[in-house]
Amino acid sequence: MSDMSDPLLQMKNLQRHYETPAGVVKALDGVSFEIHEGERVILLGPSGSGKTTLLNCLSALDSPTGGSYRFLGEEVPRNQSEKMTSFRRDNIGYVFQFFNLLQDLTVLENILLIQELAGKKDPARAKELLGLVGLDAEVDRFPGEISGGQQQRVAIARSIAKRPTLLLGDELTGNLDTETSNKVMEALVSACKQENITSVFVTHDEGLVRYATRVIRIDSGKIVSDEHLANDQEA
Amino acid sequence: MSALLNKRLARSLWRTKLRLLAVVLMVSVGVFAGITFGGYSHNLDGMYETLQGDDEEGANLADLWIDNRSASWTSEEVATFCGALGSSWPSTGAALDSCEGRSIVQGTMFHTNESGTHIINSLWHGIPEDANADKVWMPDEHSEGRVASSADEIVIDAHVVEALDLSLGDAVVIGAGTTSAEFTIVGIGYHPLHVFMAPEGSLFPPEAGQYVVGYLSDSGMARLTNTSLGSSNTLLLDVEGTPSFDLPDTEGYEGDEIDAVKALVSDALDVAELDGRVRDRGQNEPVEIMRQDLEGAKRTSIPFTVMIAAIASITIVLSLQRLVQSQAKEIAVLRTLGVNRTSLMTGYLIAPLVIGAIGCGLGALMGPWGVNGMLDFYEGIVGLPITEREVPLELYTAVMLPTMLVVFLSGAFPAWKSSRLDPLEVLSGQNQMRVGSSLLRRLTSWMPTTLGLSIRSSVRKPIRLMMTFLAVGISLMLFGSVQMMSAGLQDTIVGGLEEQQSWDAQVYIGEGGEASIIEWANERGATYEPLIEMPLGAVDDADGLERVFTLVGFDSYENGMRNVNVIEGERPQPSNGPSEVMMDEGSMVFLGWSVGEQHTVLLNGAEHDITVVGTTRGELVRTMYFLRADLGEALGVDATSMYLALPEGVTVDASLAEISMGVIERQTLIDGMNSLIEQQTQIFQAMMYLGLMFTIAVMFNTMIMNVAERDFELATLRVLGASTRSLGFMLLFESLLIGIIGGLVGVAFAYGGAVGLAASFSSWQFFVAIVVVPSVAYQLMAGVIVIAVAMTPIGIWRLRRMDLVEKVKDLSQ
Repeated sequence: MSDMSDPLLQMKNLQRHYETPAGVVKALDGVSFEIHEGERVILLGPSGSGKTTLLNCLSALDSPTGGSYRFLGEEVPRNQSEKMTSFRRDNIGYVFQFFNLLQDLTVLENILLIQELAGKKDPARAKELLGLVGLDAEVDRFPGEISGGQQQRVAIARSIAKRPTLLLGDELTGNLDTETSNKVMEALVSACKQENITSVFVTHDEGLVRYATRVIRIDSGKIVSDEHLANDQEA
Repeated sequence: MSALLNKRLARSLWRTKLRLLAVVLMVSVGVFAGITFGGYSHNLDGMYETLQGDDEEGANLADLWIDNRSASWTSEEVATFCGALGSSWPSTGAALDSCEGRSIVQGTMFHTNESGTHIINSLWHGIPEDANADKVWMPDEHSEGRVASSADEIVIDAHVVEALDLSLGDAVVIGAGTTSAEFTIVGIGYHPLHVFMAPEGSLFPPEAGQYVVGYLSDSGMARLTNTSLGSSNTLLLDVEGTPSFDLPDTEGYEGDEIDAVKALVSDALDVAELDGRVRDRGQNEPVEIMRQDLEGAKRTSIPFTVMIAAIASITIVLSLQRLVQSQAKEIAVLRTLGVNRTSLMTGYLIAPLVIGAIGCGLGALMGPWGVNGMLDFYEGIVGLPITEREVPLELYTAVMLPTMLVVFLSGAFPAWKSSRLDPLEVLSGQNQMRVGSSLLRRLTSWMPTTLGLSIRSSVRKPIRLMMTFLAVGISLMLFGSVQMMSAGLQDTIVGGLEEQQSWDAQVYIGEGGEASIIEWANERGATYEPLIEMPLGAVDDADGLERVFTLVGFDSYENGMRNVNVIEGERPQPSNGPSEVMMDEGSMVFLGWSVGEQHTVLLNGAEHDITVVGTTRGELVRTMYFLRADLGEALGVDATSMYLALPEGVTVDASLAEISMGVIERQTLIDGMNSLIEQQTQIFQAMMYLGLMFTIAVMFNTMIMNVAERDFELATLRVLGASTRSLGFMLLFESLLIGIIGGLVGVAFAYGGAVGLAASFSSWQFFVAIVVVPSVAYQLMAGVIVIAVAMTPIGIWRLRRMDLVEKVKDLSQ
């Protein structure tokens, strides 16, 4: 575990520019921030503000066109597909808005698959994680047989199954009603605390701010505010 | 609105140009094959009509043959018989056009060229200049000279003139038994009994120039055989028109007309006190084989076209359905905006029609080229000229209309599916939700999850998978069935001749001719074995139809020069009761006989009791095997030929030819069979390669669709950190699985196709047993697996170039 004084990740003057026939689009235009271990960060911003691009850069799905992005003190690979994949495999968990569970695999198998692909299959831990998100009774059911909220909780369990250092989510409650959203976020916060996972989520929903320890607001590719909240990191 | 929708669909289809091109090509190949086979059989039909023509100037081919190879009839006996037949002929019904005697004898040609004198097995016909039936066919521009009229003239069959470098005016020395004479070639022509240049008793023609047929005048035959003018061993009857006769390859009985004639003939034979075998066209092997060849060509065109169209149609169904699936959101939006179902359906119905029309057009343009190619090929193999060539308009219609119908129907289901999409379900993503199969889960739960996922993904769309396997099966039916049948034929027929027989030459002899052959053999240290081989057996089958077969008699089936492949029962032994015989597999099937049964058969017209003690394999013609002593006693013949095993350095020479009625060398026979099987296989080789191409196209289509359809889950796994390598292994396993199942299905289809082909070729005259040669099955399996596995890199390539940022966007929408 790194010292609290050392950031988990650090972005300096990060840029992501796109060349288009209409000119250069600056999706990210000099973004700088640090995130420390254990933080639960929410990225807020209007459509087209650059928050999803930032999430893509954080997860090494996309390569910045300028600036620096260091993770645990090392520069994150860019423009190298397999190295970026490897970085994701070793460090990143990802939760999608539409869950994206594999419909042909049961709830448990969805988690085992990720473990297997990461080379550390552990059925006991997979079941433990499902218990953590409150789904011990659903292990042998197919995703199509459970509710949307339950599916998202499976997705969360799947994303932390390989013990990622950083968990990312893009509008992960965007497809759920308020009550279900709250249940999912509670499960997520609980899992992150228990597994000591740092998390960054993109959302439009201001209501989710109460689950975060920090809120970064972004607009036109720039950070417009960065606010540490009183929500107890340990609570 | 509708035009814009169709334009949208056209653009979508254009994005999959490769698949579109493959489908268009499949349709065009189907039409091309249909026109090629149809045109081929149409022109062949016309050629046979001319070759076997029967008009006021006479008939090239007789309606009935009466022959007795063990004796000759004098001209007086022939006249008495024909007179009796004529007087008993009913005044009503078809008139008897002619009743004529002929001498047809085996012999040799002494052919001299720069490498020396060669002894060539031959057959000589004596045909009077004014003959009404059994004439030489000399089509304009495809033959030379005229028929033989004087005692020193001969017409040589056109099949051999090029190989032997013969031309009009050349002198040839020919022999028959112990006599020989020189003749001058006055004509080069054809004969309807010698379309396929195979010696009597064999279905395989030796290589060009290894078997000669010549047509002498009646006086020429008398001179050659040193017999009186008009002496005959065959009687030919020509009835006005062509009376219907039984077709051995059909279940029904069509021979009522000829039966009435045969009854009259039998009575007339009795009156004239003559013994002889009576055969109609269906019982005359050379005629029947060519009729079946033509029937086969006619029958083949439709199944081949339908099979190819079916493959194209399956590909269209799968492709359009995939298109509908991938455009589900677009369609849902259009439906939400108020576009009605009919407008949506129209495009999906028009698309296959356009694809079909282009394919049909291309196929129709290429068709005549294929017809000419097939006819050229026929001329090359069979050696008969196709005098007129045409591709009738009706053939284009007959091939293109069903093809268009099949292609149109293939668009109907996807069109219907597109119109039935529920916009709400699609836009809410519910159509993507499904519940996996519990059965599959149970079956694969013990496997690593990645493999389990591969299997479950592969069978996720069982109908599509089954259709793919069906298309692969049909493709392999085209590819593998001919290969399987040829390999089986080669294995049983040629293999038997190569491995189970040790003779080098078969020497035909006349009555009492053994002594001089034995002397020849003893002088040269050769070993010999006398045998009887005569096509003089007959029996009524269960339906009362007379089936004729060849009689063979050996001294031993254990230590002789020809070891017969006994697949059931025992070899014949001397018996005090009915003679013990073995019968070939084809005869046993057609007659419904079993080992151990007793039957009464006709041997050269006389009834004889036999016990079937064994079944043999390896004969194309129907054969009954006796001990020579038993058969000789029944026929009154000691031997008809001798097998010779020649020591090293001893070859067949002129002195042997002079004392024989003809000589066949085993190697010539093997070469001829191999050459024929190879040529026959070549006819279908184009089809075989097309089948292979189709297999590749179908597998490619399915694999690409499988990968494309799994973009969602593969992208998810990539985002979650799965390496290309691990996903590549999943795809490889999936390909292997589909390849193995596809291969098994393909082998089953190929076997079914081979059985079907063999059944369509098999008849009393020509029985093909299907023997599965394992190497062919392995080749087919391996071929499909290799094709399937070869598609994995394409999936991996697609994975590598996957834009994950775009995919994540898709996954979040």
